[in-house]
Amino acid sequence: MHIVVCAKRVLDPDGVNGYALWGRLKVDDSGRAFDTGGTVAQIINAYDEQALEAALRMRDAGAECRITVVTVGGEDAGDVLKRCVAMGADHAIHVVDSEARADGFRVAAIVAALVRDLGDVDLVLCGRQGSDYDQGTLPGALAEALDAALVTMAAGVAVDGDTAIQVRRAVPNGEEVVRAQLPAVVSVSNELGQARYPSSRGMLAARRTPPERRAASDLLAGREPGGVELVQLVVPDVQGHCEIVDGADAAAKAAGLMARLRERGLLHA
Amino acid sequence: MPEHVLVLINVSPGATLRDADREALGAARALAAARGVPVACALIGHEVAAAAAEAAERGADRVLTADAPSLVPFAGERFLPVAADAIRVAEARIVLVPRGPDLLEFVPRLAARLDGASVIGVVAVRAEEGDVTAVATAFGGAAHAVYRFRAPGPRVLALAPAVAEAPERVAGRTVTPEPLTVSDVLPRVEVVTPAAPLEGPRLEDARVVVSGGRGLGAADRYALIRELAAALGGMAGASRAIVDDAWASPAQQVGLTGKIVTPDLYFAIGISGASQHMAGCSNARCLVAVNTDPQAPIFRYAHYGIVGDCLEVLPELIRIAGQSGEPKA
Ligand SMILES: Cc1cc2nc3c(=O)[nH]c(=O)nc-3n(C[C@H](O)[C@H](O)[C@H](O)COP(=O)(O)OP(=O)(O)OC[C@H]3O[C@@H](n4cnc5c(N)ncnc54)[C@H](O)[C@@H]3O)c2cc1C
Ligand SMILES: Nc1ncnc2c1ncn2[C@@H]1O[C@H](COP(=O)(O)O)[C@@H](O)[C@H]1O
Repeated sequence: MHIVVCAKRVLDPDGVNGYALWGRLKVDDSGRAFDTGGTVAQIINAYDEQALEAALRMRDAGAECRITVVTVGGEDAGDVLKRCVAMGADHAIHVVDSEARADGFRVAAIVAALVRDLGDVDLVLCGRQGSDYDQGTLPGALAEALDAALVTMAAGVAVDGDTAIQVRRAVPNGEEVVRAQLPAVVSVSNELGQARYPSSRGMLAARRTPPERRAASDLLAGREPGGVELVQLVVPDVQGHCEIVDGADAAAKAAGLMARLRERGLLHA
Repeated sequence: MPEHVLVLINVSPGATLRDADREALGAARALAAARGVPVACALIGHEVAAAAAEAAERGADRVLTADAPSLVPFAGERFLPVAADAIRVAEARIVLVPRGPDLLEFVPRLAARLDGASVIGVVAVRAEEGDVTAVATAFGGAAHAVYRFRAPGPRVLALAPAVAEAPERVAGRTVTPEPLTVSDVLPRVEVVTPAAPLEGPRLEDARVVVSGGRGLGAADRYALIRELAAALGGMAGASRAIVDDAWASPAQQVGLTGKIVTPDLYFAIGISGASQHMAGCSNARCLVAVNTDPQAPIFRYAHYGIVGDCLEVLPELIRIAGQSGEPKA
């Protein structure tokens, strides 16, 4: 079985949080990126690391599979692929496209073209959403382009015969198990659990095997698919008027707070 | 049918509209007015009559229904063709989808099927030059992203909480529902083991939510959160940090990737206030924070705060709540 794992390069959300938490997040002159002076790293989207982990666990469980990791993005987006090969992916492809920023529909069209070109792909694993724009566009749009089954929010994936998989899904009231026909697109959620660390042997392998580069324009053969265009980023104001309820000790503070809540009709007298 | 702004609603059997559905109708009315077109509302599920009647009373000019047992429980591949039919019938350019647990199952795929595009987590829609731009949360809510559309097809917008007010209900306003086509779908995804049915109240509907975070310091102290929630007649929530550490169950996670709650009163106890957490609770009417760190970001969002150790404050809150009689339902 040939599994493609989609990996996106994103700004480290913890780094962005670091700025946002203290009210220091600013947008730069372009209006479309943060002004963090390059201090926030670009890393692999955490859900995508877990999508790769799901593929590796299928292999660990005895499924015979080849794992290809794919990223679509500008010149240096290929960085994230090294870690993936070090974790155990067999092959890595960087599709170079400078247009794709924040447009999951365009990326889906490019990945669909690549999957068709590869010819023998049974399963595509993605993350549930990019931690940058929080959209989760690509899995659904890709499933549509490939006319494949779609399963979202996977917490575990296992092969089920030659033509199907079983997926444990996180749903609002717990978990369910579904059986999906191949070809399928599955998006993985954090309920899958921690992804493994690259082994030192893997890191050596990653150094020896640079990602294969493909040009999006070749794959798209003249088409210019596009869904949305990010025109601006804005940092919203937060409320910022907190009344700190003080008192001699915890009991006094608690009493003061509850009195205020009662005054506002949020508790019964 | 001329162009309508369409609201696409997945209805549970016999249910009326949910708050999220009503807000979407409110947003649709505003957009429809700006575009000079009427509002259509599609109600997809089984036993949708009550929801259809309410949609008419809340201002839908046309009501489209798909009422079939095969549409329950929700399955993306069955919902999709019906939703696509609704868009076709309503000649919709703008499609609004209320927030719900199944968005990723159908929203982007529906847009792709019709050569359109979607945006999820929309906090504002601006009518501009015959088109719309969508403002949506990004980076867990730390930022808003403004999108223009490049696709030729419909713009499918999944709304965040509180984008619009629910329209007033005009009793007696009726619209004759028009049936949508429910086609036979050969399922490629089948449920093998369903999730245990949801019992009891939902976090999303609670009027009071008490959430705990890593500041509790240890798993067993989550019991204090449950106790305070119970004493206030509310429900217990959690940050992802402590769900990941298994101090609380995933069903209790509040935030971007957990539940979005809109209670009257929200307690964030030992929670730092990361944007991804706030994405799930910032629409609470009143937000209370308890944190040892006076600089904690949560105080930027809170209306009332106590700077202090939650292990000292929680027992006092529980004691007072226990004395104060029945909480407001
Ligand atoms: C893509 C993505 C999605 C995410 N989705 C979610 C989500 O849905 N929900 C969510 O919650 N998070 C989510 N997160 C994680 C989020 O960024 C934060 O890491 C998380 O919310 C932190 O949890 P916390 O506040 O409990 O812990 P911490 O950030 O560790 O904060 C603990 C707080 O407790 C305080 N404290 C310590 N001791 C005490 C004490 N004795 N008494 C009182 N206060 C004390 C500290 O001052 C601190 O402010 C997501 C992150 C990413 C990247
Ligand atoms: N540029 C990209 N390159 C590779 N995979 C991507 C890219 N963008 C999105 N994906 C995949 O699609 C998932 C959802 O991303 P998004 O639609 O951007 O929220 C991610 O978790 C990735 O698995």
